Amino acid sequence: MQAKSKKQISLSRRNTLVGISFILPNFIGFFIFVLIPVIFSLALSVTEWDGFNAMKFVGFDNFVAIFKDRVFKGSIGKTAYFSIFTVFFSMCASLGLAVLLNQKLKGKAIFRCAIFFPYVASNVAVAVVWNFLFRDIGPINNFLRSIGIANPPGWTASTDWVIPALIIVNIWKNMGYFMIVYLAALQDIPSSLYEAAQIDGANSLQRFKSITLPMLTPSTFFVVMMLTINSFKVFDLVYLMTEGGPGTASTMMSQYIYNQAFISWSYGRSSAAAMVLFLIVAALTAFQFRMEKKWVSYM
Amino acid sequence: MKNRICRKFLASALALTLVGSMLAGCGNKPAENVNNTESSTTEANTSTEEANTAQTDNASDKEEPAAPEADTSAEEVTLKIATWDATTIATTAPLIEAFEAAHPNIKVELIDIASADYTQKLTVMLNGGNDLDVVWIKDADTTPSIAARGQLEDLTPYIERDGIDLDAYNGVASRLNIGGKQVALPISTGFYLLYYNKDIFDEANVPYPSNDMTWAEFEELAAKVTSGEGNDKKYGALLHTWQACVQNWGVQDGEHTILDTDYTFFKPYYEMALRMQDAGTIMDFSTLKTGNIHYSSPFQQGQVAMMPMGTWFMATMISKINAGECSVNWGIATLPHADNLEAGYTVGSTTPLGINANSSNKEAAWEFIKFACGEEGAKIYSENGDIPAMKDDSILAVIAGLDGMPEGAAEALVTKNIALDRPLDEKSAEVNQMLGEEHSLIMIGELSIDDGLAEMAERSKEIQGK
Amino acid sequence: MKTKTLPYKTIMYVILALLTALTLMPLLWMLSASIKTDSEVFSLVFHWFPKNPQIKNYTKIWEKIPLARFVFNSVKLTVIITAIQVLTSSFAAYGFSKCKFKGRDMLFLLYVATIAIPWQVYMLPQYSMMNKLHLVDSHLGYILMQSFTAFGVFLMRQFFMSLPNELLEAGRIDGLSEYGNYFQIALPLAKPSIATLTIFSFVTIWNDYMGPMIYFNTTENKTIQLGIKMFIAQYSAEYGLVMAASVLSLIPVLIIFLAGQKFFVQGVASSGIKG
Repeated sequence: MQAKSKKQISLSRRNTLVGISFILPNFIGFFIFVLIPVIFSLALSVTEWDGFNAMKFVGFDNFVAIFKDRVFKGSIGKTAYFSIFTVFFSMCASLGLAVLLNQKLKGKAIFRCAIFFPYVASNVAVAVVWNFLFRDIGPINNFLRSIGIANPPGWTASTDWVIPALIIVNIWKNMGYFMIVYLAALQDIPSSLYEAAQIDGANSLQRFKSITLPMLTPSTFFVVMMLTINSFKVFDLVYLMTEGGPGTASTMMSQYIYNQAFISWSYGRSSAAAMVLFLIVAALTAFQFRMEKKWVSYM
Repeated sequence: MKNRICRKFLASALALTLVGSMLAGCGNKPAENVNNTESSTTEANTSTEEANTAQTDNASDKEEPAAPEADTSAEEVTLKIATWDATTIATTAPLIEAFEAAHPNIKVELIDIASADYTQKLTVMLNGGNDLDVVWIKDADTTPSIAARGQLEDLTPYIERDGIDLDAYNGVASRLNIGGKQVALPISTGFYLLYYNKDIFDEANVPYPSNDMTWAEFEELAAKVTSGEGNDKKYGALLHTWQACVQNWGVQDGEHTILDTDYTFFKPYYEMALRMQDAGTIMDFSTLKTGNIHYSSPFQQGQVAMMPMGTWFMATMISKINAGECSVNWGIATLPHADNLEAGYTVGSTTPLGINANSSNKEAAWEFIKFACGEEGAKIYSENGDIPAMKDDSILAVIAGLDGMPEGAAEALVTKNIALDRPLDEKSAEVNQMLGEEHSLIMIGELSIDDGLAEMAERSKEIQGK
Repeated sequence: MKTKTLPYKTIMYVILALLTALTLMPLLWMLSASIKTDSEVFSLVFHWFPKNPQIKNYTKIWEKIPLARFVFNSVKLTVIITAIQVLTSSFAAYGFSKCKFKGRDMLFLLYVATIAIPWQVYMLPQYSMMNKLHLVDSHLGYILMQSFTAFGVFLMRQFFMSLPNELLEAGRIDGLSEYGNYFQIALPLAKPSIATLTIFSFVTIWNDYMGPMIYFNTTENKTIQLGIKMFIAQYSAEYGLVMAASVLSLIPVLIIFLAGQKFFVQGVASSGIKG
């Protein structure tokens, strides 16, 4: 080491040290309290473990077992179905709301608060309320009947409608938060850009397409990533609203993971399912990061 | 490029092994302590002889039970006991109070957990190596799993030393003997009864349900007392959304269990439930389910005439009525039965108490179990309207004579046979979960009864590997 | 964007009012149910305001659970965890976006990857570890467990990535160290993102139920969500009371959001990197 040019080492070393010093305070806690348990639990997927005694290495047995399980196979499709719609519509809703509420209107703060409000409500309360609203003789179906729909959907009591119902509640709950993310980004767009475009004669749609959307790409990247990850691992709301039912109609992957660990006491299979979920999300994330350079424009 | 990926991979592999080896140490520690127990249970499955020797080995290993009692009574001990809904369950507070009064040197630290989360939290605590002392098991069918992990102390030496008579538990105690080890004692044994609302029967001029009724008679009776429309409708009966409230009548004979792999014996009861639902004599399943409606609410508001429910609901009714929060004029009858059964055949479940193998106050924990599952505990349970596991006619008479209990309760509480709703087996919970899923599909009409039962059978085979 | 006609504004207001009403409907229903008796809640004829409002639904909660203690615990935990999260995540995010060093991107991917793992998966190993460290049933344990999430780092990194490097370069030329750059240039500009992270972490911790459920045993340690659930368990049959409890659990977050509204939403506007 000492043989090398001192200057060169000290420079790259200093850079590394500075970088690490920024990361360290968070990383120490993250490493001990999150990363170690995470790696440990993923490693469980190749073992048979009852949660307490010695683990037994079983290779890919757990993966074979879960891919034979109809509930697990079904849960992958359901999770994908739920996620695709949730991601797309939540993004549209939050972007639309952010654009609407970014205008110079009096009282917009009140509207922002109102839209944001569902986000702060606890899931326990939200589940109770929406289950009630979705009842066959509840307000939603009564309204649908009054506008002439004779056979309104069965929502959470129907295997076909339970996931759409969950998608609606999920969008309703989270759009306020992503709206704020978009609002923050919208306000960072220099107004000079719009002024210049206006002088060039661009109409508002053109301005939106050529200035707003490109300038929002870093936020969109974040929003899409978070929505994807969150909807793939959605648990609380589904658990509280339907417990994965009726039947297994809304049993998504995280619910399956939970059931395997806490009903069947099979940590191995639970971890194997988690590993599959993890690989799917990791693949999607890696794909999005790869695409990041193509469509996200950082200033 | 390739080089970089390679290096990244190497680095991550290195990190993984590093962390892995660190954790292997963590995971192995508890294993060493219980290795003994684990191997002995596995052997027990193959040969009882071996299990017996293993058990005696184990017993001789332990010196604590033999220690003189005078030693323990002198020192101050704090017992950590986990339980659920302590504020609502009428028996918990008086039991703890009486125990502390009888054992001034022992203080109880009660860990109160919402019932819905109890089993999950208990498992995390036990698996995480928590030093909880008394394991209060909510779902008896989880006992074999907990025992298999070696987390329950064998109570046999304590029982032998203190001369506890296990026959007093009406055969329930022997079910908690797993692989030659008495891993727990039952504190209470609830069973299903038929609750009814006298006012609705009086209004309809129909005689009250008798203590010897078949399910067909129950269905007829329900039709007779159904009346009204909309908000004022009185339903003939309420079958709560639990699968137990249909499937239990299939296992009531004590011969079939939910671990069977052919569920055609559920068929008559599903047909009955769906018929009643179509006729509007019971409340609609999806309404109850999506509204998260607790069974007590429609009954206490006088909307239903009859409800098959467990004995635990008696204590709730008494306290509600004594607090003036409910004015239903209620009665109880023996659970209806199939044509080929006698009256008094019912379904129930038991609540076991055990000692955490990781406890550092095993002697005091045993004192608590001895107290709670013994005569003192039985007295407290019966005085508060719950059925203790150690029950005889005098206990039933105490319950029947309680302030707020309906007339004729003593006769209604007589049982001939209590079948366990879920056998004490490691697969019970998983099969039960599956049965619940299929149950809801049948009840909302997404699956026909035959298809539903066939699917249950198929999935049950998959789960049990049969 | 500049000139807005009256009809345009009216249409906007109508759209917004409709959207708001739709969004708030479930919450208003909750509020309305919280002052009803049980039979009124289930009544087929719906009234927004009952003839005989049951204010006692609200007072009953105070009698049944130590609400003040629970609120105090929740506020304490939420504030401490949010503060640690915002501080350490933004610090780390700066390192991940503006300092170049070997293995940086891989380390960051490791962070992001953990976001994808549901907590239920590693809850058990985490608990075992905390139990060995004697951190179960203590606020400290919960704080340590919740403070270092990958999410915060990811969010802040997204912001710092869009921060022009020239700004920092200028700082360096002016003789600022990397830390000086962070505190004097990056951090003040990051206010909008810090606000979003603060809200996120505040709401998450405030509404966290599973964590406290698993980690806290003694009543003195419990949080508002556990208290509410405890109350719901006792009165599961009584919708009015359950709704009143839910409304009560909302109030503190709402107050904090309204009080900080300027900072959270409007403050976001003034601090952007204009031009």
